[in-house]
Amino acid sequence: MNGTELLSPYTAKTLEYVLAVSYLLLFIPFWRFVQGEAVPAHALGFGWFQVPNGVHLHAGHAWARPEGGAVEVGLDDFAHKLVGPLEKVRFPEIGAPVRQGQKAFTIVAGGQPLDVLSPVDGHVVEVNEAVRLHPADALRDPYGAGWLMKVEPRWLTGNLKNLFSGEAARRFLDAAAGRLAQHLTPQLGVVLQDGGTPVHGIARALDEDHWDELARRFLEGK
Amino acid sequence: MDLNRRTLFKLAAAAGTAGVAGAAAKARASAVPAARGARGVLVDTTRCVGCRACEAACAEANALAGPEKPGDDTVFASKRSTSPTAYTVVQKGSLKSPAGEDRFAKTQCMHCVQPACASGCVVRALEKTAEGPVVYHKDRCLGCRYCMIACPFGVPKYEFSKAAPLVRKCTFCAERQAKGLAPACTEVCPSGALEFGMRADLLEEAKTRIYANPGKYVHKIYGEDEAGGTSWLYISDVPFESLRLPSGIERKSYPELADGALSAVPFVITLWPPLLMGMYTFSKRRDEVAAKEGDGRQEGRHV
Amino acid sequence: MSEQALKPAFWGGPWMRANLFLGMTFREYARSLVTPANAVAAAILLAGLPTIAYRFWKGLGATTNLSQTNAWGIWVAFDVVCGVALAAGGYTVACAVYVFGQKAYRPILRPAILTGFLGYALVLFGLIVDLGQPWRLPYQFFLTPGTTAVMYEVGWCVFLYLMVLGLEFAPAALEWLGLVKLRRLLGSLTIGIIVLGVTLSTLHQSSLGAFFLMTPGKLHPLWYSPFLPIFFFISSITAGIGMVVVESALSHRAFHDRLDPAAPVDLDRITLGLAKGGAIVLFAYFFVRLQGLVSSGRFDLLATGWGAWYLFEMLGFILLPSFLFAFAARRSSAKLARIAGVLTVLGVILNRFNVSLIAFNWNVPDRYVPSAGEIITSLTIVTIGVLIFRWIVNRMPVVHEHPDWRGAH
Repeated sequence: MNGTELLSPYTAKTLEYVLAVSYLLLFIPFWRFVQGEAVPAHALGFGWFQVPNGVHLHAGHAWARPEGGAVEVGLDDFAHKLVGPLEKVRFPEIGAPVRQGQKAFTIVAGGQPLDVLSPVDGHVVEVNEAVRLHPADALRDPYGAGWLMKVEPRWLTGNLKNLFSGEAARRFLDAAAGRLAQHLTPQLGVVLQDGGTPVHGIARALDEDHWDELARRFLEGK
Repeated sequence: MDLNRRTLFKLAAAAGTAGVAGAAAKARASAVPAARGARGVLVDTTRCVGCRACEAACAEANALAGPEKPGDDTVFASKRSTSPTAYTVVQKGSLKSPAGEDRFAKTQCMHCVQPACASGCVVRALEKTAEGPVVYHKDRCLGCRYCMIACPFGVPKYEFSKAAPLVRKCTFCAERQAKGLAPACTEVCPSGALEFGMRADLLEEAKTRIYANPGKYVHKIYGEDEAGGTSWLYISDVPFESLRLPSGIERKSYPELADGALSAVPFVITLWPPLLMGMYTFSKRRDEVAAKEGDGRQEGRHV
Repeated sequence: MSEQALKPAFWGGPWMRANLFLGMTFREYARSLVTPANAVAAAILLAGLPTIAYRFWKGLGATTNLSQTNAWGIWVAFDVVCGVALAAGGYTVACAVYVFGQKAYRPILRPAILTGFLGYALVLFGLIVDLGQPWRLPYQFFLTPGTTAVMYEVGWCVFLYLMVLGLEFAPAALEWLGLVKLRRLLGSLTIGIIVLGVTLSTLHQSSLGAFFLMTPGKLHPLWYSPFLPIFFFISSITAGIGMVVVESALSHRAFHDRLDPAAPVDLDRITLGLAKGGAIVLFAYFFVRLQGLVSSGRFDLLATGWGAWYLFEMLGFILLPSFLFAFAARRSSAKLARIAGVLTVLGVILNRFNVSLIAFNWNVPDRYVPSAGEIITSLTIVTIGVLIFRWIVNRMPVVHEHPDWRGAH
């Protein structure tokens, strides 16, 4: 088939085997390199923002937890720490419809009203009166006592497909943290890595004048 | 050299060894056995004088415009090639014979025993017949030009200038042969350079001429196993490359080269579906198990 | 403006305005078409379409630089051979999502299938332009089938696969048209269609390499190999991955207002996942090609000019993108992954060109150079593909989900 036979058949065959074995030996470390844990690209450590199992996050940082026939809805750890203690929560009416990705309720922090998108489709059946009276408390237990409202879902299985949970949710929050970290100043970075949280929310600490725009971008799921 | 009994025995021994060696070589260069009634042409280039009567006869038999510059030897200045309107051309060799004569070789379609063009033709426009000619059905051809890509001798030519173009090449005068006639070129050759007959007989004739004139001919029949064997056979007393006959031709049939790939097709069709469905079922099962264990993984329902 | 354009297309309005004119009146829509990009496309079509008409009127010789020695030019090398390879994203992503259960790639599945479908349709168009008598295409199926020909197998496979791609994409069109029953029927056939598609793709992607098995004297020994079908098959997978990385990045930017804000797609994460796959497959492909070289024993040729060109292809466009993909996955850099994707795509185009055009007939004195007519024709074919792609993505649920069918596919 080929013009010149430069190698004897034995040499040629040996070379083929040598190449194949070399490939196998190189493949193992290459595979491990490619699949290995990605080097974190931002200053904020992993797992800095929490999300427990069973909770499903929406890109706008609202969470949903199916409980019996209804779905508990709240605001996640990241969003709370971002905007700081809530001054007021403007709940929708009982029975009001909500749609996934559309505005569900409004929170007020630092004097600014910020819309929060609903994680599910349905209608509101209950709101958390305790949070209505003491909004600032929600920050302390965002996934437990800090729940904001209960929704009777219209199409839960479909909605859940668009939400993050478990590992995906943690990765989502880490990505959000990463995007936040792009705005970090060195001093603030030190504060955050020590585990502290600025008193009036991270957003305000990052950008006093335009913090509400920054917060809004995250709450709109962008 | 005188041909006496001793020389004859020496020759026979040499021929025998050559035959054995040839058989061994043939085991690697797998010539395809031609059909029983296959015809061929033996071109003895030691007899060709370059008169190009064959070109004229071919043009007349196929209703083509006549040969290029008939009777004018300046056409031999550079390498010639066939064209859509010239199915055969005579080449002048770059070397003279040992006796100092010019050498010429008629080139045309080789009508291979197992042609690459016919095996590669998607509509069987080119077809090998049992009698030897590789014929072209112009009402089938869709003009993909793969025959031109595949032919190792570069034979098929295309009518690029036409709106409904066809492939054009030597037909081995298949229609004349069907009527019991010989190809036009072989009938007209004045010097006996072209001999038409059964391929098997012509091979014997060629071998006889070579062994009967030991010092004269190159010890090879061009076309015996070139491309697995061709219908047109050449013997010569100058190297074949000097006659512009393509060198580097595989000594097995070209369709054989594609055999491996083509024979794998039914296996892929048979094995891929169960393999893929198996993987699908496995990954679906794995996801169902994970969902049941309910560790919150919710990356979407598996179809 | 774009938000409003999105809403009427989903929630009512007269059908024409909603579904064809993106929610605008005809006059508004016509005016919105006047953009620099569209001007370039129009210029290309203005030059290309008459050229194609002229080709059919006056024959191939009048518009191309094809010759008796060079029977195949860029219409075969690019529009057919490259086109088929670059449309491979359809079957690779479909296989990943459905057969391997990698649901994370679902958001890019429909664009990949659309690219595949349009790609193959354009291959057919390019073929029709290149064939001497294209109206005889059906002869291979219905009249005198040349069953021994590689092209016969390719012909059937491409023909069937084009229909498979149509069926794979049809759910998006049916959702757009609101044909629920038909859409549901198709949904139930999905896995069967996908498996058929992967099988057909394996066959014809490798067969494109098999075309050149019969040409050892014409194809340079560094590229000729009895394993050409295997090389072509594996590189079609790399082409698919590379194309999907590049095309999804471009689509995400170009069609940003078609994305559904309620269902955000982490394209960077998908790209990094593809990068991992691309790194591994390119690595394996490099060594498979090396085996081909060892098998041929022609190391002496590496020292020639052709050898340098061969190493350029191997190192710069196979090994390098493999490493770039690996680093991109490691560093979580989607940007690096996209660069690797571009290199991968260029590498497949380079390889296909080498085998069918550049290293083919390498030892022949009159080398082929494409004519202006051939170049503008190929450009026109690609432009038509891009325009149709854009038309479809702007209207049908390709980069977003149809609200009535959320999570259904």
